Amino acid sequence: MKRKSDRKPAAKERGKRVENKANTRRAILRAALKLFAEKGFYRTTTKAISQKAGIAEGTLFNYFPTKEDLALYFFEQELNAVIDWYQHEARIQRATLPEKLFAIIQQSLDRLAPYEEFIGAAILRGLLTPASKLGPWNLQNQERHLRYLRFIREILAQAEAAGEIPQVGELGAYAFGLFHLAMGVHWLRDSSKGKEDTLALMDRCLKVGAHILKQEGWEW
Amino acid sequence: MVNSNARNGTLRRGFHLGKLGFNLVGSYLGYQAQNVFLGEAERPLRQARFQRRVSQRAREELGNLKGPAMKLGQLVSMGGGILSLEALEELMNLQMRAPGMHASLARAQFKSTLGKYPEELFREFDPEPFAAASLGQVHRGITRNGEKVAIKIQYPAIRTAIENDFKLLRALTLPTRITGHIPAALLAEVERGMLEETDYLHEAQNVEFFRRELRALTYLSIPRVYHEWSGDRVLTMSFIEGESLREFLGREPGAELRDLVGNRLAEMYYTQLHRLKALHADQQPGNFLFRADGSIGLVDFGCVKRLHLDMSEVLTSIIHRSWQQGEVETRRLLGLLAGPQMPYRRARKLLPLLEDTANFLFPQGPATNPTVDFRAPALIKLAESNSKQLFRDRIYPPEFAFVSRAEAGLCHLLRELGAHVNIAAIWSRITAGGCTGTEGTEWTHGITNRKSQI
Repeated sequence: MKRKSDRKPAAKERGKRVENKANTRRAILRAALKLFAEKGFYRTTTKAISQKAGIAEGTLFNYFPTKEDLALYFFEQELNAVIDWYQHEARIQRATLPEKLFAIIQQSLDRLAPYEEFIGAAILRGLLTPASKLGPWNLQNQERHLRYLRFIREILAQAEAAGEIPQVGELGAYAFGLFHLAMGVHWLRDSSKGKEDTLALMDRCLKVGAHILKQEGWEW
Repeated sequence: MVNSNARNGTLRRGFHLGKLGFNLVGSYLGYQAQNVFLGEAERPLRQARFQRRVSQRAREELGNLKGPAMKLGQLVSMGGGILSLEALEELMNLQMRAPGMHASLARAQFKSTLGKYPEELFREFDPEPFAAASLGQVHRGITRNGEKVAIKIQYPAIRTAIENDFKLLRALTLPTRITGHIPAALLAEVERGMLEETDYLHEAQNVEFFRRELRALTYLSIPRVYHEWSGDRVLTMSFIEGESLREFLGREPGAELRDLVGNRLAEMYYTQLHRLKALHADQQPGNFLFRADGSIGLVDFGCVKRLHLDMSEVLTSIIHRSWQQGEVETRRLLGLLAGPQMPYRRARKLLPLLEDTANFLFPQGPATNPTVDFRAPALIKLAESNSKQLFRDRIYPPEFAFVSRAEAGLCHLLRELGAHVNIAAIWSRITAGGCTGTEGTEWTHGITNRKSQI
């Protein structure tokens, strides 16, 4: 009797603690993003972030040992947001495959737009420093990558089932992931008005790509 | 064997696709090429037959599409080559077309231009376009105040694509520009014209110019620009109600209504020539909207031609057949039309053509009915052969060729309507400064005239 009643509040407590932790993480990210947008990724100090988030600097390190960890968490949240957005967009889900894929990249870029410099710095660091936690081959990224690939794979599988494209399998999702990354880099470097060049490039590539798949098959 | 053949075919097609892909966003002509290719793909055809045909069609169509560019290339390469006015004219009149946009792209381009998604600015935004427009497409929307609007959205990066094409063209035409066979200024003028069409802010000015200058024609609706929701690649205008010519004719309107509309179309056209000294340069039926009460809507002002040639004087001379009044008058008219550079003897080739035009549009003589029946088959033939001959003999200033093509567009509309129009009466009323606009009372008058004469 006693033990049972003992355990219940403890579980509740734990749940609460987990929730609090998640809230703090989000608060830190919000504060950091604001600072990144103002001062840039490199020039923002951990001290400034902790001050803005209203926590001790030591606490910040408990949550995010480095700024890269913060970036990782950010990308994690972004992926969740895009997947969540897609699942609530009934119109997009009825659209053609090129439009679906276009909308996914565009939505993610649109969300990233306020943090352009931060994203640029993070992606650059990831690509140029193989040891970086942000590197695409870093283990810490794998779980997120897999979740992304599963998300894309499912969309491609629907298109396969509907006869929109031939079987492209896992490799198709992987290829799209690389395309997504390439578009992200293009977007970062795009100096056209409202970054419209990226929109045009994405649209043409996806339409031609879908066309090639449909007409020529996967084997080249 | 079969397999390797198939592989071969795939490779070959891949090569073509590669070539297409090369021009992915860099070239306007490249867009055109891809449109043909992608357009074909959307048709449901059996796979094998389809693949064979696609590669063949793509080659053919690419050949066609390259027409103007290829023609330029040929002309340039002909040694001391003359890049003729025709080639440039042709380029200038290339139907400006852009690839279609799905809703996600249209919304993204809207935000890229105005900083917000359409749903954030309008109460309603229809993700499906209802019309194609020069270089983009038009969507329906409803403002927060409940006003219906037409939102024109341009395909992204089209301006860069056209600029790239002209960079290439300038490189190609370098020799001719050095020899002076083609003035650099001319090329620049063509480029400016095409680029102008990509700037919707400029189009907004055009719309307002026409709306202001043609306001006396009360039967005519021209959209109002909403500047707060317009930019260089998005143009928001009031929605103009009306039916296409085909829909309108499908209701089998009576002769009176068709004549009324025909007279109004002619009045619109000649008012532009005389008063505005500018022309809505796209006189194709799709830009006119018709209503059962005889009122007319005019849309799409992407291409507007400001005239330097005094068409009022030219037309008045044509009506009075000034060439019959001696050498001096003839020289004066031809000088106006052909400019001082053209030798008089060559310019005289214009005379039979002017005579024909005068006889059809402004019939003369005591026993003649001045009202023109636009269903007469000879008329459209005349309009067509006129512009063809002008083109072939190069006996025109480009501007006159332009006007005559616009006139052919008007004739086409009037013929479709089967309207009877007294062009001479309309012209003299416009030049006399009498502006009708008062709900077409004078038209009724014109129609009564015709009836009494029959």
